[in-house]
Amino acid sequence: MNHQEYWNPVLETMPLEKLKCLQFKKFKRILKWAYTHSKFHRALYDTAGLTPEDICSFDDIKKIPKVEKSMMRGIQNKDPFPYGDALCVPLEEVSIYRQTSGTTGQPVYQPDTWQDWEWWSECWAFVLWAQGYRPKDRVFLPFGYNIFVAFWAGHYAAEKLGCEVVPGGVLDTQSRILKIKELKATAMMATPTYVLRMADVAKNKMGIDPATLCINKITCAGEPGAGIPSTKKRMEHAWGAKVYDHSGATEIGAWSYECTKQPCGMHINEAMFLVEIEDIDTGQIIEEPGRKGKMIITALDRTAQPCIRFDSKDVIEWDSVPCTCGRSFRLIKGGVIGRADDITKVKGVLLSPAAIEEVVRSIDGLGDEFEIIVDKQGDVDRIKLKVELMPGVAKLSIEKTLKDQLRLKTNLGYQLEYYDYGSLPRYEVKAKRFKDLRVKNIIERKIKI
Amino acid sequence: MKNLPDLNRVNDKILKVKQLLLELEIEATQFPALSRNSKRALASIKMLELNISDIITFDLADF
Repeated sequence: MNHQEYWNPVLETMPLEKLKCLQFKKFKRILKWAYTHSKFHRALYDTAGLTPEDICSFDDIKKIPKVEKSMMRGIQNKDPFPYGDALCVPLEEVSIYRQTSGTTGQPVYQPDTWQDWEWWSECWAFVLWAQGYRPKDRVFLPFGYNIFVAFWAGHYAAEKLGCEVVPGGVLDTQSRILKIKELKATAMMATPTYVLRMADVAKNKMGIDPATLCINKITCAGEPGAGIPSTKKRMEHAWGAKVYDHSGATEIGAWSYECTKQPCGMHINEAMFLVEIEDIDTGQIIEEPGRKGKMIITALDRTAQPCIRFDSKDVIEWDSVPCTCGRSFRLIKGGVIGRADDITKVKGVLLSPAAIEEVVRSIDGLGDEFEIIVDKQGDVDRIKLKVELMPGVAKLSIEKTLKDQLRLKTNLGYQLEYYDYGSLPRYEVKAKRFKDLRVKNIIERKIKI
Repeated sequence: MKNLPDLNRVNDKILKVKQLLLELEIEATQFPALSRNSKRALASIKMLELNISDIITFDLADF
């Protein structure tokens, strides 16, 4: 075993039974911390008739009430301002403010102490080391450093690893590409949307083939793209680099990563997080591979505003095949498959936007951008798919393939609309390509997977 | 596990450094440069505890 492959060779190869034991003991510790220091958590558990002492076995963990994002929204702007009473430390201990993007509603505020911030970058250190980042790397970060956590912790983790970090904050896309070229940066972190956007700008506006630059690895986060084979392939082809998936969230932390073996899935950092997969219909915990459910997650060491049994709404499934990298941290197959909010029924059939993305990006004559709009024509559901044709590509040459693949992968028919290359909206961070116009409040909808 | 340091010994050292930093932090209430930097160093020590000491404390090192 080459220990240099692992950030922590003991934790990352710990037998599963011992990992489970570690998780249980750490869960008890963070539960007791939250119960003792946060009125919000104490009230939540008191109402359920539970104290930390009632959690005597791993199976007892599921008795602990889940926390929904709406609950966190409900307490903020109250004392201690602006976080509310989930805060477990005095306000003067809070060293940094972040907030969620507000994609699903009012943003949630996230306080962190300096220790929490060290923890954030420690979790990212697991990610980057597993993806081959080493001190010799020069890492370019093309994102707007602001109130969103995005790649902030990736920056600090790269520093911790000993890499040289180049913060590409307020530069525009072309300036960023020129800086990558000038400095011969070897690695980069961005959303899949922006990785493709940068490649497009480099190639079509600047006459630079990104594959000729020195970038040899890219870490993607913020969207499922790096876990979608056709999107990953497009990114790797465009940049001539390995593209790795990672998933994290403001309220949670950096909880999963793809390793250099690229196992078509992500490892969960089971030393720092406890992930449970819940059947959306029955609420039962899914232990076996092959069944999709939504993720309930606990950050085992986050202290200022703990994340205990948080209902993330990310749809995932356990993989049955262990990774060849030697890590015992389990894999989730295909990464985050989607958001429970986005997976919806159309004409009685379940539709996942990620499945459409996989089809569109697998067809060479189509551009990277697309848009899905679900609405009603009378009483009947209708899906409109807008795609871009690459210059010189005729609609007739790809239409049959597109229709057949969509039918095969999603069991649905589409109203296809073709646009000239460059006509659909471009995004620089997270894309908004899916619009369901049938129901205003999609969160309240009954979802079946 | 071969070629890895003795985790018990490593943990002892982590705890000693932690103790020293805690003492520095307490002694330095009128000396912000000393107290704040000690506090910040303690946050890094916590990462060593998560990586190493938890394995010892929770009695998980015997493999």
